[in-house]
Amino acid sequence: MKTIQNLSEFYQQELLPVLRPFEERRVKLAFNLKMLAVNGAAIIAAALTLKYTESFGVFLLVILGIWLIITGFTCYSLYSGFKSDFKDKVIGPLVKFIDENLNYLKDAYVPQSIYNQSRIFLATPDRYRGEDYVFGKQGKTEVQFSEIHSEYKTQTRDSKGNVQTQWHTIFKGLFFTADFNKNFSGCTVVLPDTAEKLLGFLGKTLQSMNMARDKLINLEDPEFEKEFAVYSDDQVTARYILSTSMMERLTAYKRNTGRPVSISFVNSRIFVAVSCSENMFEPKIFGSLIDFETVKKYYESLEFGAGLVEILDLNTRIWTKK
Amino acid sequence: MNYAILGLIVFILLAVAIMFNMLVVKRNQVDNISATVDILLKKRYDLIPNLVETVKGYAAHESALFANITELRSRAMSSGKAAEKAELDGRLAGTLKTLFAVSEKYPELKASEGFLALQRSLNEIEEQISAARRAFSASVNDYNNAIQTVPLNILAGIMGMQAKAYFSAGEEERKNINTGELFRK
Repeated sequence: MKTIQNLSEFYQQELLPVLRPFEERRVKLAFNLKMLAVNGAAIIAAALTLKYTESFGVFLLVILGIWLIITGFTCYSLYSGFKSDFKDKVIGPLVKFIDENLNYLKDAYVPQSIYNQSRIFLATPDRYRGEDYVFGKQGKTEVQFSEIHSEYKTQTRDSKGNVQTQWHTIFKGLFFTADFNKNFSGCTVVLPDTAEKLLGFLGKTLQSMNMARDKLINLEDPEFEKEFAVYSDDQVTARYILSTSMMERLTAYKRNTGRPVSISFVNSRIFVAVSCSENMFEPKIFGSLIDFETVKKYYESLEFGAGLVEILDLNTRIWTKK
Repeated sequence: MNYAILGLIVFILLAVAIMFNMLVVKRNQVDNISATVDILLKKRYDLIPNLVETVKGYAAHESALFANITELRSRAMSSGKAAEKAELDGRLAGTLKTLFAVSEKYPELKASEGFLALQRSLNEIEEQISAARRAFSASVNDYNNAIQTVPLNILAGIMGMQAKAYFSAGEEERKNINTGELFRK
């Protein structure tokens, strides 16, 4: 894993010259957006006070409205280009800095078939989107991760018979998968332990009654048990996967991310879902891009995925799986 | 009034049936995991002759170590007492670790594909045995808690259920490996 010192050197030598032109574009874009907001507010205020019998006033309002739409589209296309260039020139090289063997595709994402294999989430997505796909082989371990937003829909009918569709998020955040270093079959799911944290013993009892999941497994590590609830179809396999060192590593990883983390182990693969409400790899508009702390934040977000092989020691292949 | 008494009897019978089932499930779980441990130990026994033969090909003069492993394996396989078997399995695990420590002295052996494959298999089995023993301890804990707490202890007493022993690592497993001592045998 790279150190902060390494990152600082990379930032100074490689990223800073690239970031300066982006910062100029960002400042212009931020100005345009602010102007758009001010003009928009002014037009709305004018529309509310205008007497619609004055034909000139209405004509003027239509013109201003059209201008506002054009400016809005311009700003949007400027931002899209800005975001696309930023990802190519900043996020891509940052991925290569973390590991030369990793590749980055800004518009691709982990396929839904892989997401479905994880069995972390019970609901089947009706809409599945993503971006910022990182993939490659880190040492002996094949990895891939990306941002994913999965949703399911519900439909309601109002009194007039109109169907209304509501979208509900199943998962939004970083979704990671890798080839695990031990052979096993079956499924073990490790979920954030919210019920036990909130309700104590009662929560544990409720968890054990969760019919949608396999059997609740109580593991021996109290720190791990504070953070996670484990469900598995085989408790020997669950303990084979979740060795004492693996439990410590997962607890440390969860605490380091500071976000809800769900993990599953299915047929010799590991899946990790780190929940995050915001887009982790988008350029900021209202805040400096050349600040080291900003770059560090992108780096740390990438490390949630790229650092997992080292954190979980997945390259140790002393078992039958090479 | 009669309905109230009938209701109470049905409730008691239902409660007894649920408690009975709970106890049986917990006891079966201990037996089931104990059987898993035995299966994994059997896998280890099956692997040992191949391992010894492979190492012999490169390190023929470590005969004392091979004899020790073979003897421990055959005693562990034929042992009927759980405590003695656990002790012998512990000693066997320690001796196998020594075998791998010895292999460090033979570069050709270390590089042999067959030996590396056996080493990987044994590592895997050892870790599976360790996981199964952890599961066994957890299920024994669950079972012992059930039969010793109110109200299940009353029914467990009637059923003649007794507390089960946890798996404990033998003296040999707790000790660090002393290769020198093993070679003097």
